[in-house]
Amino acid sequence: MTLLLWLAALPCLYWTQGADSAPSLKTAGIERLCVPSERADEWRKAGFSPVAVSEGDLAVRDPLLPPGIKPRTDRASATRSPWVDANGWRFVRHPEGQYVYDDLPAGRAALAAAEAYAYGADAVLKIDPADLEGLGKMMAFLAQLPANELPDVADLAVVDDGSGPLGEVLNLLVRRNLLFRIVKAPDPNFRVNVQLGTKEYPMKEAGEPSALALKIRRQLTDEQRTLRIFGSEVVIARVTGDDTRLRVHLLNYGGRDIEGLRIWIRGERPGGEAHVAGTGRVALPERTVVDGATEFTLPRLGSYGVVDVPPVK
Amino acid sequence: MDRRSFVRLLAAAPFVPAAPDEAAPKLRIVTSYPPAARPGMPGPHPGRVIAVKSEKCVDTVTSAANADVVREMMTRGMCALTGDRTAPEAWRRFFVPADIVGLKVNCGGHPWVVSAYEIVAEVIRQLMGVGIPPTQIYIYERFQNQMDAVNYAPHVPKGVQIVAAETANRRADNRGYDPATYVEADLFGEEDTRSNMMRLVTQRLTKIINIPNVKDHGATGATGCLKNIAYGSFSNVARTHYRGKSHTLSFVGTLASVEPLRSRTVLQIMDGLRGVWHAGPFARTRRYVFYPKKIFFGTDPVAIDRLLLDIIDEKRKAEGAISIYDRSPRYLKVDDSAARDADPNVNVIIREPGHVEYAAKLGLGVADLAQIKVQDVEV
Repeated sequence: MTLLLWLAALPCLYWTQGADSAPSLKTAGIERLCVPSERADEWRKAGFSPVAVSEGDLAVRDPLLPPGIKPRTDRASATRSPWVDANGWRFVRHPEGQYVYDDLPAGRAALAAAEAYAYGADAVLKIDPADLEGLGKMMAFLAQLPANELPDVADLAVVDDGSGPLGEVLNLLVRRNLLFRIVKAPDPNFRVNVQLGTKEYPMKEAGEPSALALKIRRQLTDEQRTLRIFGSEVVIARVTGDDTRLRVHLLNYGGRDIEGLRIWIRGERPGGEAHVAGTGRVALPERTVVDGATEFTLPRLGSYGVVDVPPVK
Repeated sequence: MDRRSFVRLLAAAPFVPAAPDEAAPKLRIVTSYPPAARPGMPGPHPGRVIAVKSEKCVDTVTSAANADVVREMMTRGMCALTGDRTAPEAWRRFFVPADIVGLKVNCGGHPWVVSAYEIVAEVIRQLMGVGIPPTQIYIYERFQNQMDAVNYAPHVPKGVQIVAAETANRRADNRGYDPATYVEADLFGEEDTRSNMMRLVTQRLTKIINIPNVKDHGATGATGCLKNIAYGSFSNVARTHYRGKSHTLSFVGTLASVEPLRSRTVLQIMDGLRGVWHAGPFARTRRYVFYPKKIFFGTDPVAIDRLLLDIIDEKRKAEGAISIYDRSPRYLKVDDSAARDADPNVNVIIREPGHVEYAAKLGLGVADLAQIKVQDVEV
């Protein structure tokens, strides 16, 4: 993959300030830039290769939630299962979509960039300028990650009826790290096929998406899942892989570093390594293989990291 | 597979019903540590409790303890427990100079009801008398911020280690926990189904002294020896109470039974100088603080906790509050801790005082009052 193509795979910072702000962008290490059409020339003269984005271009993009946690005492508890705003389900449902993180509050830009990257989403970020440095570091980290264009790993299939209620079910599946594939009709390759409106999954159950996600989890069983995470309720994973390797993207929505995250992967795997934003390449200590699954510890996770593991023995 | 996995299923476990319509969760214990020939709990004195009382041990106006009186209570209690004539003889029955000893204190009731400085200091003094250097003595809790608030350092000799597994109760620090020693249970559909034992317990300590308080608890009915050692040595335990329900009935005792915690916890010293009879385990105000003026000694956490249930329930009865055994929904205001704090006739969770009896069925001690021998000592 060429550098330009690789950079194009990164989310794009939408920057409305003039080219006189170029030094701050350069200091932050920002290379990929989207600017209002009328400012494109001045940014080219400043030495950038901006993507011109008009108001119309932005308007057709689907707006995303600022990723992170927020207090919802009616629906979640602070320490047991905090309320997480995440966009992964949108990306999985519509991988060809175009998205915009609108007016991200300070402190969310790096996670938003990582989230879009982890799902390979075409996303534009409108950030708080205070986040420039953090975003620059995250973008630099993403740009140097070893390439890994692997298909999604899924443990169950979901028939997409295009409905709104299914969207929230998908959100809760992502939230619980239940790895699914969107299909147009039940797929015999999967033991669990979720199709709303059927006898097994009545439409009324979509009204309680959390309960439905739990029902699906229990149908699948934890032992049959590809991945489990212990030590946090705010880390969401996307898993890609094939017969040669597995990549686990880990997004930490909690807003603070997590130490000692325990990763469980089905299958006996000989080792692996991680690349963690803010830390770099790290080993995965305390590896054990028990009951047909491999476990290891990720010593520290900031907003984002990837774990690459070899194939099953 | 190089570790032993003990699976304890509901069908195989002794069962104390929580409520007729409610199934106890399946709990799976994973540990590689074998039990000691004689596990610390219930230890050499099952069903035996020494209750030392002194009217002079605490000033109920200032809430300050009298260190000299506490020291005398400690001596009398330990000697009564072991039958020895002197405190050093009594302490040497439990500890040798090579031991690395953990003191599991309780800081959750800060500022009014925490493991007393005077008791902790006297325990350390006696351990040092056995020949254990201060660097081999650890005061521990789960949360560093609670330890910092209580601040034992000025009250204990230099060199004593004061440690916690996590910075605060925010579920971000797991490195203080042993990834290979845990209890797995899906209680309410939570994603993280493991509660891991502290590395300090599995990898460092050879013996543990449990120093809980006399406290009411919204989920368990009361919190004393069992809950202090169990919930204070494992991660991710707040998940057992949710929306008015609690799985503490089976979880407390199960955690306490996990090796090596069970074998290494060799002494129970329950601080009953002060207590809290409602809104526990917290004691942010003095409104519900009371003064039993006792210290309890034993090796059987169940027997002491069985007495504790009565202490809390009788105090509540005397104050006109509902019993800890009351399961009526009419007193239940789910998640409304403000209402609970304001009114002793409000529960936020259905309490599970049966956790003490459950622990007895797991072999941790004696819960039958008829079989518990209490020796009262007056100082």
